[in-house]
Amino acid sequence: MNESSGLIQVEAVSRRFPLDHSYVNALDNVNLRVAAGEFLAIAGPSGSGKSTLLNLIGCIDKPTSGRILIDGVDTSTLTSAPMTALRRRKIGFVFQTFNLIPVFTAAENVEFPLLVQGIGARERRERVADALESVGLSARARHRPDLLSGGERQRVAVARAIVHRPALVLADEPTANLDTLNATQLIDLMRDLNQRLGLTFLFSTHDARLLEHTPRIVRLTDGRVTSDTHNAETPGAAIPPFQIPSEGASHGQISALSL
Amino acid sequence: MGKFLLLAFRNVFRNRRRTIMTLIMVGGGVAGLLLVGGFFARMFWGLREQTINDGLGHIQIFTAEHFNREEKHVLDTGIENWGQIAATVSTGGHVRGIAPRIEFNGMLSNGVKSGVFMGSAVDPVAESSLGFTPRLAAGRDLDTKQGGEIEALIGAGVAHSMNVKPGDGLTLLAVTADGALNGIDVEIVGVVNTGFKEMDDRYLRITLPSAQRLLQSDRVTNLVVGLDNTDNTDQVAARLAPQLNGLPQQLVLKKWIDLAAYYKQVRSLFSTIFVFLGAIVFFMVLMSSVNTLLMAMFERTREIGTMLAMGTPRSWIMALFVLEATLLGVLGAIVGVAGGNLIGFLLNHAGLHLPPPPGTTSPMLFQVLHVPSLMIGSSILVIVSLAMAAILPAIRASRLQIAEALAHV
Repeated sequence: MNESSGLIQVEAVSRRFPLDHSYVNALDNVNLRVAAGEFLAIAGPSGSGKSTLLNLIGCIDKPTSGRILIDGVDTSTLTSAPMTALRRRKIGFVFQTFNLIPVFTAAENVEFPLLVQGIGARERRERVADALESVGLSARARHRPDLLSGGERQRVAVARAIVHRPALVLADEPTANLDTLNATQLIDLMRDLNQRLGLTFLFSTHDARLLEHTPRIVRLTDGRVTSDTHNAETPGAAIPPFQIPSEGASHGQISALSL
Repeated sequence: MGKFLLLAFRNVFRNRRRTIMTLIMVGGGVAGLLLVGGFFARMFWGLREQTINDGLGHIQIFTAEHFNREEKHVLDTGIENWGQIAATVSTGGHVRGIAPRIEFNGMLSNGVKSGVFMGSAVDPVAESSLGFTPRLAAGRDLDTKQGGEIEALIGAGVAHSMNVKPGDGLTLLAVTADGALNGIDVEIVGVVNTGFKEMDDRYLRITLPSAQRLLQSDRVTNLVVGLDNTDNTDQVAARLAPQLNGLPQQLVLKKWIDLAAYYKQVRSLFSTIFVFLGAIVFFMVLMSSVNTLLMAMFERTREIGTMLAMGTPRSWIMALFVLEATLLGVLGAIVGVAGGNLIGFLLNHAGLHLPPPPGTTSPMLFQVLHVPSLMIGSSILVIVSLAMAAILPAIRASRLQIAEALAHV
């Protein structure tokens, strides 16, 4: 990666969607640079373009104009197959509604990205065990999503997003469907993974609980960047390691993830 | 691959009610084909055995000339020394008996009216030992006793047109092997109903010595070989062929299937009907499955979007849907084969009867054969049908726009 240019470069990106006989500008000339290891929130009200920007950075949508570079690769020049390969190797996703595969167990869900990458069975087992341990869900590995709480499901989703050692984790409103307790635990977990493992987290939110722990906040309004604030006083900089809730087996402090 | 197969298998049982309905539909199609096909197979078997036991036999031996040219004189393409040949043929295994026959033509008269006949001269003992018994509408079969009146069976049509009945007499006229005209008087002992009107209007049957006396020849047209089991026909034919090669007369043998034109016509007709039924089942399964699989795809839109977002190749998504449909087809085939065989078993033991087939008077017992090739064929049919039904949903799933799929509610 080119350090000087950052992990993500968003250059004059606009995204326009057709609407009846007109169109709507979801993003309008957005510029953004994210360095590796950042913990960055994209904030803004509903319809401000947060999810659109995340989709574009996540290579699951293409800008109408402008370009986005991920780890030095200009994604606007990529065809479908290299784009898929880039997502597979470099990006992990956490969704608002968890989006776990309901017929798979927690472990199998976490294993899926490794399966897609063609990693061998033994290595898959080891990495899945590490990832689940890092989110404190080793004891729930064999449970299917419908037997897990909302917070547990989102933690499985986080484990799935980091298990293949991506350069970037994108989270779209990750706490929107969680109660305060679970939301706080998830925020702590993501911040811990960011700090301890150096994972870059980029998430959209309008959850004040999450923003409190975020050292950098980019605010969007009507598809435009209205502010880009860095907060050196972020409590997350000094937050204690993620504490696992008391349900199930006692996990205590999060273990080191050998990513 | 194992996990991928596991995912497909679990997805099949995701919506159990829908899966059960699909399995019932697919299984019903397979079971229906097995029952219809099994009934047809039983019918073919019955017609085959009836054709053979009505006098065709399993193998017939002719001279090669019989098929190469028309006879200049009666029986000049017939078999000489047939007794010796019959003895040779009967020494091998599986041969139950041999019946010599003469096929000839001539005229008959009741003194007032004349007509033509197609005659068949037989050895009643040999015929009887092979189970070849004429279908008598009146009177009795030919007697084997020597001396007395020459006996004859005539077709129902002949009896009607000549206005004769058992006990009446007829005069037969035929050209002898020397080209002379010869005649004999016969006593009608029975009236035969062959099941075919054209045959009944010309049919006449006398004993072999009577025909040899009429035709002035000791040759026979052919030798009919009866076996212990129809399934041994090919084996015995293969054994007999070289045995017949070294004889002074060049002989050929014909298996029953070569001579059973009616059987082949019926089989061809019903096979076509069965293929048509198979096509209907194929398209029914195909069309209804397309709908079901499209519904399943629609319900899983967000999940597919998630998988695509994680970098799953689009070809995998396609393969997953085709694999799921194929698994559904395999399960449906298992259900269908099990259900079809069970229903067939119950029907076979229910003692159901169908109306008498053409040419017979007794009701036909409803039976279904359990045919392994039919089970395999029907199973492959529905599996292929379901795999094909998955193509459209699979293509649509693999082409989903990820962002739109993830936003799908």
